[in-house]
Amino acid sequence: MADFPLLTALLLSPLIGIALIWMVPRAAAARDGALLGCFLALALAIGIVALFDSTHSGYQMVTVSPWIPDLHIHYKLGVDGISLLFLPVTALLFLATVTGSNARMENPRLYFSLILLLEIAILGVFLAIDTLFFFLCWELTVVPIYFLVSLWGVGVRRQHAATQYSLLMLAGGVPLLIGLLIPALSLPEVAFDLPTLLAHPLPRGTQFVVFALLVLGFGVKAPLPPLHTWLPLLAMEGPIGVVALVAGIKLGVYGLIRLAIPLAPEAAAQLHWLLAGIGVVAILHGALVALAQTNLRTMLVYAGISHVGLVLLGLASFTLHGLQGALLLTVNLALATGGGLLAANFLQQRTGSCELQHLGGVFVTMPRLASFFLICGLAGLGLPGTSGFTGEWLVIVAALQTHSGAGIAALAAMVVAGAYFLGLYRRVFFGPAQRPAIIEASDLLARELWAAVMIGGVILGAGLMPQPWLDLTVEAARGWATPR
Amino acid sequence: MNSAPMMWSQVTSYPLLWALQVLPALGAVAIFLLRGRGYAVTISRAVAVGELWLAAELVRRIDPASAALQLGERVDLLGYPVYHAGADGITALFVLLTALLTLLLTLYGLVRGLASVSRLAVVILAAEATLMSMLVTLNVLWFAVASAAELGLVAYLLGRWSTSSEENRSLAMTRFIQFQGGGMALFMLGIGILAWGHADTTGRWSFDLLDLMQIPPEGKFQSAAFFLMFYGLAIRTPLFPLHGWLPHVAQRGMVAVAPALLLGIKVGIYGMLRFVLPLTPDAVVAWQPYVVGFAMVGVFYSAVLAFLQTNLRRLLAFAVVSHTSLIVIGLFSLEAVGLQGAVLLTVNFGLAVTVMLFMVGFVFRRTHTTYLDQLGDLFERIPFIASVFLVGGLSIVGMPGTPGFDAAHLVLEASIERFGALPTVAAALGNVAAAGFLLWGFQRAFLSPRVDGMHSKVERTQAMEYFVGGLALAILLITGFYSEPWLNLTDAAAKALGARFGHG
Repeated sequence: MADFPLLTALLLSPLIGIALIWMVPRAAAARDGALLGCFLALALAIGIVALFDSTHSGYQMVTVSPWIPDLHIHYKLGVDGISLLFLPVTALLFLATVTGSNARMENPRLYFSLILLLEIAILGVFLAIDTLFFFLCWELTVVPIYFLVSLWGVGVRRQHAATQYSLLMLAGGVPLLIGLLIPALSLPEVAFDLPTLLAHPLPRGTQFVVFALLVLGFGVKAPLPPLHTWLPLLAMEGPIGVVALVAGIKLGVYGLIRLAIPLAPEAAAQLHWLLAGIGVVAILHGALVALAQTNLRTMLVYAGISHVGLVLLGLASFTLHGLQGALLLTVNLALATGGGLLAANFLQQRTGSCELQHLGGVFVTMPRLASFFLICGLAGLGLPGTSGFTGEWLVIVAALQTHSGAGIAALAAMVVAGAYFLGLYRRVFFGPAQRPAIIEASDLLARELWAAVMIGGVILGAGLMPQPWLDLTVEAARGWATPR
Repeated sequence: MNSAPMMWSQVTSYPLLWALQVLPALGAVAIFLLRGRGYAVTISRAVAVGELWLAAELVRRIDPASAALQLGERVDLLGYPVYHAGADGITALFVLLTALLTLLLTLYGLVRGLASVSRLAVVILAAEATLMSMLVTLNVLWFAVASAAELGLVAYLLGRWSTSSEENRSLAMTRFIQFQGGGMALFMLGIGILAWGHADTTGRWSFDLLDLMQIPPEGKFQSAAFFLMFYGLAIRTPLFPLHGWLPHVAQRGMVAVAPALLLGIKVGIYGMLRFVLPLTPDAVVAWQPYVVGFAMVGVFYSAVLAFLQTNLRRLLAFAVVSHTSLIVIGLFSLEAVGLQGAVLLTVNFGLAVTVMLFMVGFVFRRTHTTYLDQLGDLFERIPFIASVFLVGGLSIVGMPGTPGFDAAHLVLEASIERFGALPTVAAALGNVAAAGFLLWGFQRAFLSPRVDGMHSKVERTQAMEYFVGGLALAILLITGFYSEPWLNLTDAAAKALGARFGHG
């Protein structure tokens, strides 16, 4: 068992789904093929978590083979406590998205194939420990998203949104690539292998350049203000299932944790005020703008931006608790924001709108949907008993210790978050159901209920039993937080 | 690279480079004599396949570890070499690309349903013979003559097969001849000065690369020769600001065949690598900042102009000017990695642009227009053609997983070393601008909805179109994910050239 390339199997498992989609003669059965691929990926991801040795701080289950030896690029995969939790959560969110999506659409084969390609690229980002292989997967996420948004988007400006997204991501790729090239070129022997790069710290001056380039590159995707304007547009125009994946799985934040800070530790520590500052701006800006939204989808993505700020604040503390909190918060974001957007998707399919003025009284006819949305929203608020609580609590404690002012601002933003979420919840779900679309709508179907139960179950499970999650991350986080 | 090449008889049983030039020429003559019989086209394709096999043979025979010119062939007359050929890894890669593109062109010509296909096959094969001559020759004059012959053939193509709904269709050929004639004149003058400089010091006229390299011309001779040769080739390539002929040829000329011969195989870049850089090294170093400066401006200038285009064919033309500037940045970094990157970038762009041109040709066959506002909504009907077009575009942008990535990566690496991080970021952002206009063009041509439903009955993709597109797609993706052999092939030659500038 020890020799089985489990990580490669995980990375390639969605391909089985794609093969099935095109082999089964009926196009309508495409979703079943995709489901199988996603399920396989989730099973493998859970297997990896089960086999993971949490007393270890280094990379485990490492697979390496040369890819372009002349350019010193390797296909190298590995998992440690930092990337571990992202694997099952990513697989879970993809499974839920596919489960919850309506198979009656145009060209379902292409749609589900692109979704699975996106899953491969995203899993690759989490698994790669060769910086250029990381970059390959990073850039490959753009292509399926471009097609998914421009062909299956719901808004009239979907093509504009798709192009804007792709261009911003490609533009963000430029500083990112250069930021990854500089450390590799400064080694005596050019290498993109992450452990090797970390073993040879850069000179101080170079670190600042690299850090700035990487923060810029990852910041576009995270998204950090003021680079976040693509996300609300995408949320309005794109297919909501895809928006849930893009807004839920925070690759940009992962990039900051995995590469930007470790590759330039001194610069990052020196610029902690910058991280904390951007964090506070994101927290407050996201929360206040969310308060002003009249659409469920944009409200959810602005709330997500606010949470990204909180994650940044945790990172800026450079303490064990701060990092652990940041990791758990990022994982929670996938569940809370992703789950919330899936619920919004179900709502949109029934009522044809996510505008607040078209909604109201949803709880009367769709209690299950309303409960699912409530669980996701409360996880976003960080209520005790949900998966959001542990992370948020750790981050705020760490922030209060190191950046007291910022910590207080974060606390204030939580109050605002309570206001926007509960205010919105009241307007959408309570009150009398007046519009015919809402009165006639049926509650969650069996497949949608499955998706809701999977995500809701993990939110509540992780909320009531946070210790295993902390144990899995603690060793890697300790190695990360102690200055090298 | 300085020493005389190892002769062919040590490696093969027949003069391989000679065969590479003669086979397509013979094929062209044979088809011409058959005068349009049905099987003439089949013969052209057989010749193209045979040529591809010869090219593969060349790649196999070249020793990639050696930087020297190999498989040398030489015929002397009265003590002067009249025919002198040799190849290294870079030559082999260009030869392979030329053979591959010619094969695709012969297939495309039929699929597209162009007029008098067998005559077209004659011209394509003849052009292939001249291109091969330019690639393998070690004689500057031979290069120039072959180049003139090839331009004549392309002008004939433009005169006879131009497909466009535009008025003054002849403008394509007129502008082409005006510009290229000027370029040829400059280049001829340049090599004349080179040979004169050589005669001045040695008392003996020679156009041979190896002779000229041993005693490079001095001072003003060298500067003058560099300018004339560089700008002569720059018109052909084309480089900003000498690209004036290209938009006309793109808009009013043939959709794919002529542009593929001109842009797919960038002999201009090859000429710079083979002749300009080794023969005028001091002038190259002296004028490096200006050339790179112009190239940086060119990246952005043509990107901006591309955004203003309303015609898909013109848009592609400006994309070419923009990305050629990136090649020149790699070339004039004068670092070994930069040179290697420029070679790979040239090959990748050639392949990708040809693929995109083919797809535009397939679209034109259906719509009889390439104006973007008259296209749209085509993805529904021809998703495969649209996807192949997009993959070609992504390859130009240097998306990982396409051959463009490794090449662009090498150029950026060299650029960081030579020019620092900031100009590199600027050049790379110019490349993102290229991504911008290609995506935008793709969207308007294939995705944007049409209210009038004009294209709802557009013919579906045909089997042969699947074949040509699928072949191109497979080549792009396979070389993208498995680029090791190409890197290997060009490594030693690029290092040797870089060593000439002290950056091996």
